[in-house]
Amino acid sequence: MDSSTLIMLAIFIPFIFAFLVPVASKLLKQRIGWFAVATAILTLSLILKIMPIIIHGDTIFGEITWLPTAGLTFNVYADGLSTLIGLLASGIGVIIMTYSIGYMSTKEDLPRYYQYLLLFMGSMIGMVFSANTIQLFIFWELTSFTSFLLIGYWNDKTESIYGATKALVLTAIGGLVMLAGFLLLQVMTGTFDIPTILHDESLIKAIHGHELFFITLLLIFIGAAAKSAQGPFYIWLPNAMEAPTPVSAFLHSATMVKAGIYLVARMHPLFAGTDAWFILVSGTGMVTMVAAGFLAFRQTDIKAILAYSTISQLAYIMTMYGYTTYHEPGIGVAAATFHLVNHATFKACLFLVAGIVAHEAATRDIRKLGGLRKEMPITFIIASIGALAMAGLPPFNGFLSKEMFYESSLEMGAALGSPFTILLPAIAIMGGVLTFAYSIKLIDGIFLGRRQSKGLPEHIHDPPAVMLIPAAFLAVLVILFGLVPSIPVNIIVEPTTAGILLEPAELHVKMWHGFTAPLMMTIITFIFGLGIYSRYDAIAAWQDRFNLKHPKISVNYYYDLMVNNARTSAHTLSAISQPGTIKTYMSALIVTMVVLVGIPIILLGADIIPQSLNFDIAIYEVLIMLFMVIAGIAAALLPAYLPAIIALSTLGYLVSLLFIYLKAPDLALTQVLVETLSTIIFLLVIVKIPQKFKERIPATTLFRDLIIAGAVASTVFIILINATQGIIPPFESLSHYFIENSMTLAGGKNVVNVIIVDFRGYDTLGEISVLCLAAFGVYNLIHSRGDKT
Amino acid sequence: MTTLITKTITKICLPLVILFSISLLLAGHNNPGGGFIGGVMFASVIALLYVVLGLNYTTSVFDPDWSKWFAFGLLLASITAFAAIPVGHNFFRSAFEFIHFPFIGEIELVSAALFDVGVYFVVIGTLLFIFKNVGEDT
Repeated sequence: MDSSTLIMLAIFIPFIFAFLVPVASKLLKQRIGWFAVATAILTLSLILKIMPIIIHGDTIFGEITWLPTAGLTFNVYADGLSTLIGLLASGIGVIIMTYSIGYMSTKEDLPRYYQYLLLFMGSMIGMVFSANTIQLFIFWELTSFTSFLLIGYWNDKTESIYGATKALVLTAIGGLVMLAGFLLLQVMTGTFDIPTILHDESLIKAIHGHELFFITLLLIFIGAAAKSAQGPFYIWLPNAMEAPTPVSAFLHSATMVKAGIYLVARMHPLFAGTDAWFILVSGTGMVTMVAAGFLAFRQTDIKAILAYSTISQLAYIMTMYGYTTYHEPGIGVAAATFHLVNHATFKACLFLVAGIVAHEAATRDIRKLGGLRKEMPITFIIASIGALAMAGLPPFNGFLSKEMFYESSLEMGAALGSPFTILLPAIAIMGGVLTFAYSIKLIDGIFLGRRQSKGLPEHIHDPPAVMLIPAAFLAVLVILFGLVPSIPVNIIVEPTTAGILLEPAELHVKMWHGFTAPLMMTIITFIFGLGIYSRYDAIAAWQDRFNLKHPKISVNYYYDLMVNNARTSAHTLSAISQPGTIKTYMSALIVTMVVLVGIPIILLGADIIPQSLNFDIAIYEVLIMLFMVIAGIAAALLPAYLPAIIALSTLGYLVSLLFIYLKAPDLALTQVLVETLSTIIFLLVIVKIPQKFKERIPATTLFRDLIIAGAVASTVFIILINATQGIIPPFESLSHYFIENSMTLAGGKNVVNVIIVDFRGYDTLGEISVLCLAAFGVYNLIHSRGDKT
Repeated sequence: MTTLITKTITKICLPLVILFSISLLLAGHNNPGGGFIGGVMFASVIALLYVVLGLNYTTSVFDPDWSKWFAFGLLLASITAFAAIPVGHNFFRSAFEFIHFPFIGEIELVSAALFDVGVYFVVIGTLLFIFKNVGEDT
């Protein structure tokens, strides 16, 4: 099979199978999880099949025609970078779905759960393999949306709804901002196609020199930062922990939050090498890294600690992708990519452990846990491997990528010169120290120390194999990647680096380099880390006190303020804009027309009424007009409903009489019939309302209405005068076309009818659909009124 | 309004007007008429029936589910609109053909006429649906 077809299949299979889940669940009942696992394995194997090409350093491109008129095709592009995230999405997907079989209670609505998971997996894979920015945006927002569904999976819990809404609001707004950035990118380069831009030196040069450069970078980066919980957007991730734990492991550590990282890496060749890129990406990364690491101390929920650690680890990666100068592009790219792989393994592993602990001990509160090492020995070992890898201890994979982080910080600092020579490594160490401290806290808080008897179940033991094996598998990967780094490096890190830097990359990663500067930094990290850890609880207590004293120094405070105020201001706004009386709506509508006509009249100046008017009208026309005016005034002034309606109908019949004189039998016929019907309906309705004439209108309102009516009348008069014999030459009438073509093109002599059913049939189809809807609307209006009282 | 004369006349008029509305529908392509006018004509005579003979009497002899009428009309119109696609033409492409029948003479077959029939049913259905619901409400 063609390799681009494989990718298309990998994108669409999760979607198609997600829609098959309800069918399959009829057959499999609560064992539907295995169906999802099989889908994920199938998707993974499809991506694995393209691996040989990717390892070889080649790229794959394929397309299906999608919106040719808009210049858009559904096209896929696979290089090392997209394949890496694709592998994570499907590979971790297999692990997570297997684990879910053990984790989710069989009483839950399982088909819905696996359906969401598969939809998410498909969107993620579609996102990374998208070769144009619009398609990428669509899948990007789909991941936000499916994540919303998954976070709010327990939709009867207030916290879930709050967390889901927060994640959707922040990431979806970020996505829209990103779309604006993509559109500007199109303005700069003239294409939506990503590979085209990547492989065209002149386009990249054009971007760098363009005046829109910074704003485009900023907009796209805001999208990436919102998705990856960087900078002020970090607040959604801790609340997203209301999702079932496997979901957190999948979306909020291994895959979706990496979307922002992916985007930064994808845009690296376009924007990197400039000061703006370094300040924006690395700057945000460094601030987030330290802040999130610090805030993790205060958390008591295991998953919340993991959430903050995820934010801080993603910030590592973000920082490294920002490390780039004009002369030495991409100093940190390889390190970042390697850390991306490692983080996915150890963090997913830790989340699974958190799920196991919560499942067995029935709590995730780290204050209540402790001393579980004897009761859950296997879980303890797995958790230690994950946490120590995160802390950066040898021989685990986290050690290697952290060393590379330190090394690239040193290099970047040296490249930038003083004071960054000291500053960048110092900040990197600060991040490492905090990471070390909370990683140790995880092991210490759950497994070491004394077991608390209060609030914990009597017997706690290791979970069933279906939950243990996925976690153990990830732990094995952590050790394997640590001991034999050449495996991940050769298979995926090098192609990915090559994909980002657009040139072949060769890396030499090993455990022991001798006594180098990064090793010194690691040792410093451990010493400081132990020091900080001894004061861990004191720091957490201080944070609590600070938070209590200054509630306004928090991003969440402003988020809540914004969301709550949005509701009240929306109420105010709709109360003003929709007062509910037809009179107001009509006045607004009509006045708008007057204004819109008035502006050009003012601009054009004096001659709005032609000097010599040609009143060539027959006597019967004058008579009919006169009657019409009288009928109109009567309809407005008559003091009771019945005569007013009769006057109105008279006006309608007079119009049809006019049509007859103007030789439009079709219109006249229609007018007569419609007038008859509407009169009958009017009569039916007014029997039921009190026959006293409407309430008295205040003089001011009457005066206002008179002014509006006068303005409208004169506007219409001016338009009509100008349309027929005005200063502007009248437009050529459209009717010639229809008269000439109605017989030849549609075979009909009645032009009006041919227009309705043939030339403008599309229009008519729309109209009759609206008519049907209106009928339902009337039905509902009439029948819902009775229900309320 | 509800004198014996009006009642009798209305009953006599009913089939005639319905026939007239159908003839309007069919004539539409070349002469004044068409689905919309025919539909309104049909609806108005039923409306007249409601007004003159009362809702109860009318529904006791003749009470179709009008919503089905407009549903059918919309379906027919949509099918006509889409019909050209499988043959490879654009959406809404209409076809016409002059066919010579023995004894009757030349007759024009237009696919747009089917669309017009759809419009006819939609108009009758919605108008009378609204009419009946407004009238029933007491």
